[in-house]
Amino acid sequence: MDLSFNIGGAAGQGINTIGDLVAQVFVKNGLYTFTIKDYMSRVRGGYNFTQIRVSDEHVHAPVHGVDVIIALTKDAIINQRDRLVEGGVIIFDESLGFEECERCHLPLPLEETAEEVGGNVRMMNAAALGALLSVLKMPISLAENALADIFGDKGESVVEGNVKVARTMYEEVKGELAQRCDHDFSSVEKGPSEDRLLVTGNQAIALGAMAANLKWISAYPMSPSTSLFQFIIQNSRRLQIGGLQTEDEIAGLNMALGASHTGARSMVTTSGGGFSLMVEAVGLAGMAEIPIVIYNAQRPGPSTGLPTRTEQGDLLFMLHSSQGEFPRIMIAPKDPLEAYYLTKDAFRLADKFQVPVMVLGDQHLAEFTMNIPRIEIGEVDMDRGKLAEKPDKPYKRFKVTDDGVSPRAFPGDEEVVVAASGNTHNEFGHISEDPDNRNAMVEKRLAKLPWILDELEEPKVYGDKKADYTLLTWGSTWGAAYEAMQRLSQDGISINQLHFAYLYPLKTETLKEIWEKAKKLISVEQNATSQFAKLVRMESGLSVDEEINKYDGRPMTPEWIIKQLEEVGVQ
Amino acid sequence: MDYQTARGGWCTMIEREDLEPPQEIQWCPGCGNFGILRALKQAVMELSNSKHEFFLVSGIGQSGKTPHFINLNGFHTLHGRAIPVATGAHVANTDLKVIVHGGDGDLLGEGLGHLMHAARRNVNITCLLHNNGVYGLTKGQYSPTSPHGFVSKTSPPPTGVPMDPVNPLGVALIGGATFVARGFAGDIKQLTELIVDAVKHPGFALVELMQPCVVFNPKWGWDFFRERVYKLEDDYDNKSKTAALEKSFEFGDRIPTGVFYKQEKTHFVQELQLPEGRLRDHTNDREEIQNIIDEMLV
Ligand SMILES: Cc1ncc(C[n+]2csc(CCOP(=O)(O)OP(=O)(O)O)c2C)c(N)n1
Ligand code: SF4
Repeated sequence: MDLSFNIGGAAGQGINTIGDLVAQVFVKNGLYTFTIKDYMSRVRGGYNFTQIRVSDEHVHAPVHGVDVIIALTKDAIINQRDRLVEGGVIIFDESLGFEECERCHLPLPLEETAEEVGGNVRMMNAAALGALLSVLKMPISLAENALADIFGDKGESVVEGNVKVARTMYEEVKGELAQRCDHDFSSVEKGPSEDRLLVTGNQAIALGAMAANLKWISAYPMSPSTSLFQFIIQNSRRLQIGGLQTEDEIAGLNMALGASHTGARSMVTTSGGGFSLMVEAVGLAGMAEIPIVIYNAQRPGPSTGLPTRTEQGDLLFMLHSSQGEFPRIMIAPKDPLEAYYLTKDAFRLADKFQVPVMVLGDQHLAEFTMNIPRIEIGEVDMDRGKLAEKPDKPYKRFKVTDDGVSPRAFPGDEEVVVAASGNTHNEFGHISEDPDNRNAMVEKRLAKLPWILDELEEPKVYGDKKADYTLLTWGSTWGAAYEAMQRLSQDGISINQLHFAYLYPLKTETLKEIWEKAKKLISVEQNATSQFAKLVRMESGLSVDEEINKYDGRPMTPEWIIKQLEEVGVQ
Repeated sequence: MDYQTARGGWCTMIEREDLEPPQEIQWCPGCGNFGILRALKQAVMELSNSKHEFFLVSGIGQSGKTPHFINLNGFHTLHGRAIPVATGAHVANTDLKVIVHGGDGDLLGEGLGHLMHAARRNVNITCLLHNNGVYGLTKGQYSPTSPHGFVSKTSPPPTGVPMDPVNPLGVALIGGATFVARGFAGDIKQLTELIVDAVKHPGFALVELMQPCVVFNPKWGWDFFRERVYKLEDDYDNKSKTAALEKSFEFGDRIPTGVFYKQEKTHFVQELQLPEGRLRDHTNDREEIQNIIDEMLV
């Protein structure tokens, strides 16, 4: 079973609510879902849609072809019609006055039923849900249970109203109308039911940060990072995490550096434009060797770009951000579950190596929702890295060591004086222009890189290791590429996927192995210039054979990737 | 003499030798910063805190070098950014007495927004603004406090600086600072008192320090200030913000010094309701995180 629905309409019409409702109904019944929200940068009007995929197996990406469209405006019908697969159906309100000209058009009194049966137009969502289940020939009990759970705290009458509306619509569609759609899921068996945590990438990153004992977050709102910051701030009182919406991103990062330097695990969240403002402070973190986690939910640039769309366009910018040379770590999670673990690891690595750790998300990862297993928090890993147990007197904050990492003491520790500077300094943290000292300090900092590299995981290979074609991916494009790779493999094409979560410093062993075997290495990136392929070439000397790029701001689908692969001769 | 620290330990009075500069001082002979450094040392000795409880955070400029010239915890950060760094440090460990050093360029140019917002938040830190009316470290360009018509390397005659200067005390007052004062590098006794009071004040304290730069702004030399500075009269009421604001515009033949405004009100960390003790030592409640996760289960 692999179903997809698109729910389209204007902003402010509650499309997301129906989307969430539909996703929850299926998740509650043991199925896997994947939801994306495609919306414009406006609060009311326009044309937006939510796509929900439902399957009895994990699903990882949006798709082009959809089985059911629920359209709340005429625009939505017009925009989506072409995506309907054979046997699919469009459900819409009859008041839109669309001709019932084709088998797939299903005009229904959604609004009227909501008003008359439920007494509230807002129950149109429940009406649509009832119609949907009927069309799919699934039992109405699915909706009943879910509505009770979802609206439970709003009181019994709200639940009852919604259930009545859903049931009325369900009955109305049953029979002749439902036959217009070829789908029949009346006998779908419930899949596993333990994966009931429905989260976005941003929420998962926030949970990872909390689990890593984040104690300070300072940020300035910028889509699509905002929801992460809000999620943490909303829970900050419960966990006693310090947090502040600052005057700008410059203050955000500098404040977090102050908190981290003084001993509190800290992070900032932003998107590309905000990161641009932070760049100077990234250098301060580099020079003063302050651990910090910087999350960039990338969106298409340059400048304000496309605020609500997706891109992987900031990789090389982040890699090279700030003047001068110093080590940093770059990580890009592929999905919410991985985002949770990688974020925890980001904090560990930051403390261990006393460097900035950049977590690269993008709008797609930030906002798509999928169900994952319940996360078990367990014990907190509070390894703060090398601490100065019995500090030298006077204390050398920047003591030269083999691995470049100096034992840390914090301002405020008794009997220690901690000096630090954004200027080139000596081991004590005081300004020095001595050329030998300069060399020693540059080398000390850069000495961390090989140790960092040792600590990072190799990229993962999905599919047959010895395949002819290899898709090279990083970050959130994993999902679409993975499904494309699987579909092609099923069709007998010899193809695998090499996916990087740790981007810098770059692990090259597996890469070299795969490169030796593959006839064609094909990079798949959500940007125009194949930034990761460039990084790979820079670090390993290896070049990809083909580059597949998407930069229209919309996430990739498996179908799209397959089409591009055909064009570069994968068959 | 021994006394108890905020963490309950005991410490010994700070002696002048404890503060001996870890690094050779690099200011020009005759610079006002020497007076400020002396007053700072004196204030640190007078305040009953132990040495590790002080944390100096500075920006970039001549004043920014201060942490290198006194043996205390110090962080020499970026141009204009000392206040946010100091705010973060203070939140992470409220036992610290966080003192910011910045120049007029630093705090009123690059850092003006941060100054206003720190004042608005009433962050419990002390901000010492070394005002020499010029950019010292970059060798003589006009600064946000240079007078209208001031001739400098970047404001040539006949117009000189083509605009009015920033009023630092006024800015702090309007921002919401709860302790606003002015001192003069030539009056170390008063300056010491002001710094002591500012550090003790539970909220955002701004002290403007009139600091002669004998190289790039000789007009604002020692005599210029000696002839003009006077202490606020005994009957001056520093509880009135409007009176303080009015007074802050008096800067010409007579330059008032002293505490312009002082008011107690809840400060930033109190507003945030952070955990008891130091934030840096706090651990997120594991069960509570699990609860947050479990509430998201569908
Ligand atoms: C982002 C940035 N811009 C410019 C500079 C160069 N710079 C260093 S100090 C300074 C001005 C210093 O003036 P002020 O703050 O008044 O301090 P003073 O040296 O007079 O004490 C400037 C522009 C810098 N270090 N960083
Ligand atoms: S240039 Fe001016 S401010 Fe700088 S040290 Fe010399 S006298 Fe002081």
